[in-house]
Amino acid sequence: MSIWNYVVTAHKPTNVTHSCVGNFTSPQDLNLIIAKCTRIEIHLLSPQGLQPMLDVPIYGRIATLELFRPHGETQDYLFIATERYKFCVLQWDSETAELVTRAMGDVSDRIGRPTDNGQIGIIDPDCRLIGLHLYDGLFKVIPFDNKGQLKEAFNIRCVFAGKLELRIEDLEKDNKDARHVKTYEVALKDKDFVEGPWSQNNLDNGADLLIPVPPPLCGVLIIGEETIVYCSANAFKAIPIRPSITKAYGRVDPDGSRYLLGDHTGLLSLLVITHEKEKVTGLKIEPLGETSIASSISYLDNAFVYIGSSYGDSQPDAKGSYVEVLERYVNLGPIVDFCVVDLERQGQGQVVTCSGAYKDGSLRVVRNGIGINEQASVELQGIKGMWSLRSSTDDPFDTFLVVSFISETRILAMNLEDELEETEIEGFCSQVQTLFCHDAVHNQLVQVTSNSVRLVSSTTRELRNEWFAPSGYSVNVATANATQVLLATGGGHLVYLEIGDGILHEVKHAQLEYEISCLDINPIGENPNHSHLAAVGMWTDISVRIFSLPDLNLVTKEQLGGEIIPRSVLLCAFEGISYLLCALGDGHLLNFMLNTNTGELTDRKKVSLGTQPITLRTFSSKNTTHVFAASDRPTVIYSSNKKLLYSNVNLKEVSHMCPFNSAAFPDSLAIAKEGELTIGTIDDIQKLHIRSIPLGEHARRICHQEQSRTFAICSLKYNPTSGEDSEMHFVRLLDDQTFEFISTYSLDTYEYGCFIISCSFSDDNNVYYCVGTAYVLPEENEPTKGRILVFTVEDGKLQLIAEKETKGAVYCLNAFNGKLLAAINQKIQLYKWVLRDDGTHELQSECGHHGHILALYVQTRGDFIVVGDLMKSISLLIYKHEEGAIEERARDYNANWMSAVEILDDDIYLGAENNFNLFTVRKNSEGATDEERGRLEVVGEYHLGEFINRFRHGSLVMRLPDSDVGQIPTVIFGTINGVIGVIASLPHEQYVFLEKLQSNLRKVIKGVGGLSHEQWRSFNNEKKTVEARNFLDGDLIESFLDLNRSRMDEISKAMDVSVEELCKRVEELTRLH
Amino acid sequence: MHTHVWKQIRDREGGKVRANNFVNSIKSYRISQLQLANHKDIVSPHKGAVNSLQIDSTEGRYLLSAASDASVAVYDVQRSATSEASAAFCKHRCLFVVDKQHRQAHKYAVSTAIWYPIDTGLFVTGSYDHHINVWDTNTTQVVVNFKMPGKVHRIAMSNLSTSHMLIAAGTEDVQVRLCDIASGAFAHTLSGHRDGVMTVEWSNSSEWVLITGGCDGAIRFWDIRRAGCFQVLDQSQTQLGRRPPILKRSMITKDSSAKLRGAQKKHANGSGCRQQPIGRVPSKGPMKQRLHPGMLSTQDRATAHYGAVTGLKATEDGMYLLSAGSDSRLRLWDVQSGCNTLVNFETVRLQINKPLQLATTQDSALVFVPCMRSVKAFDMWSGYTYTVLRGHYECVNSCWFNQQNQELYTGGNDRQILVWSPARSIDDEMGEGPAEDQDNWSS
Repeated sequence: MSIWNYVVTAHKPTNVTHSCVGNFTSPQDLNLIIAKCTRIEIHLLSPQGLQPMLDVPIYGRIATLELFRPHGETQDYLFIATERYKFCVLQWDSETAELVTRAMGDVSDRIGRPTDNGQIGIIDPDCRLIGLHLYDGLFKVIPFDNKGQLKEAFNIRCVFAGKLELRIEDLEKDNKDARHVKTYEVALKDKDFVEGPWSQNNLDNGADLLIPVPPPLCGVLIIGEETIVYCSANAFKAIPIRPSITKAYGRVDPDGSRYLLGDHTGLLSLLVITHEKEKVTGLKIEPLGETSIASSISYLDNAFVYIGSSYGDSQPDAKGSYVEVLERYVNLGPIVDFCVVDLERQGQGQVVTCSGAYKDGSLRVVRNGIGINEQASVELQGIKGMWSLRSSTDDPFDTFLVVSFISETRILAMNLEDELEETEIEGFCSQVQTLFCHDAVHNQLVQVTSNSVRLVSSTTRELRNEWFAPSGYSVNVATANATQVLLATGGGHLVYLEIGDGILHEVKHAQLEYEISCLDINPIGENPNHSHLAAVGMWTDISVRIFSLPDLNLVTKEQLGGEIIPRSVLLCAFEGISYLLCALGDGHLLNFMLNTNTGELTDRKKVSLGTQPITLRTFSSKNTTHVFAASDRPTVIYSSNKKLLYSNVNLKEVSHMCPFNSAAFPDSLAIAKEGELTIGTIDDIQKLHIRSIPLGEHARRICHQEQSRTFAICSLKYNPTSGEDSEMHFVRLLDDQTFEFISTYSLDTYEYGCFIISCSFSDDNNVYYCVGTAYVLPEENEPTKGRILVFTVEDGKLQLIAEKETKGAVYCLNAFNGKLLAAINQKIQLYKWVLRDDGTHELQSECGHHGHILALYVQTRGDFIVVGDLMKSISLLIYKHEEGAIEERARDYNANWMSAVEILDDDIYLGAENNFNLFTVRKNSEGATDEERGRLEVVGEYHLGEFINRFRHGSLVMRLPDSDVGQIPTVIFGTINGVIGVIASLPHEQYVFLEKLQSNLRKVIKGVGGLSHEQWRSFNNEKKTVEARNFLDGDLIESFLDLNRSRMDEISKAMDVSVEELCKRVEELTRLH
Repeated sequence: MHTHVWKQIRDREGGKVRANNFVNSIKSYRISQLQLANHKDIVSPHKGAVNSLQIDSTEGRYLLSAASDASVAVYDVQRSATSEASAAFCKHRCLFVVDKQHRQAHKYAVSTAIWYPIDTGLFVTGSYDHHINVWDTNTTQVVVNFKMPGKVHRIAMSNLSTSHMLIAAGTEDVQVRLCDIASGAFAHTLSGHRDGVMTVEWSNSSEWVLITGGCDGAIRFWDIRRAGCFQVLDQSQTQLGRRPPILKRSMITKDSSAKLRGAQKKHANGSGCRQQPIGRVPSKGPMKQRLHPGMLSTQDRATAHYGAVTGLKATEDGMYLLSAGSDSRLRLWDVQSGCNTLVNFETVRLQINKPLQLATTQDSALVFVPCMRSVKAFDMWSGYTYTVLRGHYECVNSCWFNQQNQELYTGGNDRQILVWSPARSIDDEMGEGPAEDQDNWSS
């Protein structure tokens, strides 16, 4: 790999950190706004459910997300503050459907220490001020003027630590850890606090959450672990609750009499303030049911509520007497570990993550592209075309599958045993190749061969009518729908037929100047059986033309340019927008927007899908139409947010495809590939396919063993009934196909699984699972004892072969030169695998290396060992075989608190650290002095904004040797917020090109809220902020493809590179993930 | 507070502990484990009392020490030169020493040695021989020299500075001098103290604000862009953070706000919501606006300690200042209001005739104070003794806390430099290697 790296998100963050509800997009719209750490999503609540309106990145980690309504406005504004002390106020522009920045600014201070409990931002409901608690001891106030504009901010000294809520209710934690609530009033003129009307001392020790109660009731709810208290100037009510930690709340009624509370076990409860007129008489709490563990609760309307979760999937619920999940949004976070495997052995990586926590723990199998789940297959060589036919027009299912070969046509049908067997349709000509088949109206079928068009009854299967090509001409290409047939013969003759009951009318004939290469009359208008436009691709002048039907008048002619003829054209409509797709013989695909009234083609775009000719075909899945592009790299074309997207199909080469929706194989596709006909169902159409395997417990480490075809995980189960510390830890073995637990090894009491690898040792052919553990005793601060356990898999069972006690927690294990390298507290320790006299093996320590604070993350390559320390960045060690010793070679002397390391190549190492940054360091073997050689030089720095738990070499996409991107080495990472990302090492020339593109994109694509991309990506920690270098933001670069043509042109001009070339180079990159 | 390191790491990867909290809790846990290091030793080449210690701020790697025998030395505290780097116990010898053998060495005791804040290419020494020398680290040659009017007690440079290269020097003289490395000349003299200046400290919130402590018991704040000092701390000024209840207060505020409107405008915070440097006294509150030269003479005569101010330390967050005095008191000041917080530190006895170098932890939870032969760590907010570090045989003069690896270095009249670090388990030091090898032989 190299120092020039490209960082791109393959799976966006899914951890819901904030959510709020209000009238944002218009005074009538009810919107749900969700923050997923570095993105916001705006949804519209409609009778059909939640409709996504916008999903945009924010150049910052969102610390506060609040809706508010300034005086005199009819809709809400959105206030966002980021963890790096930027804030902005956004408004919706309904004309452009974009976010407009109303105000922005920087709220960082030179003085003060960042708060321990996270930043708090609140907005006064009367819109007089915004309050921010960013630094200990300081409360920042941004006042509004009477026109709703923000004025200059000022700080107020304060002594509290903890939560702030509206009307400035302060939870104060004093030296003795007792908690109090105090009220203050902000005196805007004096820029100071004034003591409020009441305070409450010595609260429940777990009192961590304050809920402001709006007028007319007023006051505040203080949610503790054992009590809920309502407090106001003139009332005090308390009720005991079942011991629980309330994680989130949502207000149900605007008058503040009912609240939803979500606790740490996922229990959703309703809290009611009972009152007579405006006098509070008591509190009532009622459990409603179980959900994912909530991180945010937003009450939508009409008993719908949105539960955002950090640990499980997010869900809007309908509640009645119980909670019912209406819809579930996948959340991969927190990804604490993952492995890259190729379970189907197709040469494509899949990522298996350890996701979620507590009861929401699960494994997630993440795969790029769309999978085909094979249902049946037959060996059939030389398929030239396939069509499915129904036995009558109103039959919902397909019966026949027509398969065409070079000199014959065979018909397959489902028999009574639901098997596919060869049958006959008497009216069809089966001795020649079929060019096209289709169901026609009036229970008829149409077959087009090189010399005739046959109309056959689907009930009697007898020929009803036949149209013959003029003698001397043969039909080259043909297409049809239920009422129309269009065909082309040699010499550029275009013939249009209409289908009647038992009759074929030749309606129109036209001669074109060149030969015709492809045709389409797929109906995209209102009538599903009839098209008034025909698309025709031409040889020689390499054009695509639109003709009107039935008169065959030329409407539009579009020169394609180049020398490659169009091989397949298709009229189609996605999300109400009509397109013309045109596939070329070299694997490129052109798409145009089609105006169905005028036939005008606009917005031409070109993408490369493969290298071989493409055949286009529509199919539907889940009531939505998609296009299947069969080629050497089969692709599904679909539309999302009115944008065409391309997703790989996980098959090597597909020559033909047709939908085949039979009773036995509903919603299936028939696929011709490599001498085989396969019938299979297709996954949900999306780019990344995620399969969830709920475990009901929290998996922390995972690894795969090829030989035994198993996964092993370290997991833990909480036992909520017997206190917080009762956890049971296991090593579990899972089948790599079914993901069932097939064997379990329970660890000792207080023994925690820390790491697991699959490895083998020198002079031993077996493969083992090695598990590192720690004894976490309640009275100890740091583990002083742990174990290394060595298991084999025998008959699907974990067998303990050897164990070795260690003097600390085993944080990391690596297979190393046929030995086992363990990171144990401060030490790196090498163990050899020794055969004892009795034939058993044991681990024997060979040598070690001190000098780390805690060696948490270790990677090895050859004799080199790269250690990521708790707080001392990366160091490089070397194992010296002759001396049997490990020595330090070099170190990065920066104080980075590491969260993951990886070796990119012999000289370059990648690190992720605690402040959400990425960096690379380089070994300097050629340094002149010991001092230079002993120093790892920092060569790349970048702010990712995500906490990475793990790097692994590997790729999410199939590596095709013929493509450029196939050669680019990649590392995959997983983060707390559920992001799966790819880091790709680019050749220098490409890096320089993309760097230039990135800087041009920065000028054209403005960050939401006016936040700067350059500042966002700058490496940032307590000590320094430096501009990103040797890392590129792939998300920004790939957003080039979403720009409209004029902005693309702008960039093309600045870069002095054609738009087509830019698109091609950026598209290549999108294939990395 | 009970911090379980292993659980913290697990909770961090699960997103249950904020990354920022994780660092703070691990740091404070490690600080609670400070003891005489059992894996690291600094071999002091000094033949006189160690007067000052400083670690470079760029890498937290190079320790600079200055001693009464006119010597200055530099050590690598992270990497031991000894070959057995994998060994459990490392001796760190100095990388170089500048002593009386050196042609350009000081003649008398070196009272302070500090790193140039931007990198370790330069360091600065101040000596009782009335000189301040600026040294090139690589060649150990003096590149700039300043002749001072008397013995140099303490020198300091601002860590925040981006626009000046000034050395602030406190000497026997009543004037504080600012020496400009860039020009090699004195940039300013700051007049106000009535006796020699024992200690100088730059503000942690503004590169323009300097704090000085004199033998006259005064602590003065200077904005070096303006003439004169703008604040003198008064030990009897102790009203902090009393907020009157709403009703009474509203009466007062009406009056005062009207009166002070003009002043407030002048001191409104900078645009873009950026906080302006502190040190500007808020225009309200119990103290009146003080502006030189109109500052009231009573305020100008205020004292922070009875006797000399011997040590100053601004906390990292820039909100507080600690001072040590020959009255054996340690005081904690709120910088913005200039109030004495009245935290009662259990100091018992402090050295009186020498500048003391105090150290604080990054989170301002603890302050390390040389208390005769021991170093005491006090809880900053309660003043209680958190721990007492005993190891020196004579009085301790200086301590420096390395924020990067939570190690404390102390130097004393016994010529030793001691390393205090979070405990490492002794079990681990025994190593599994040798012990087990023996087992293997015997079996």
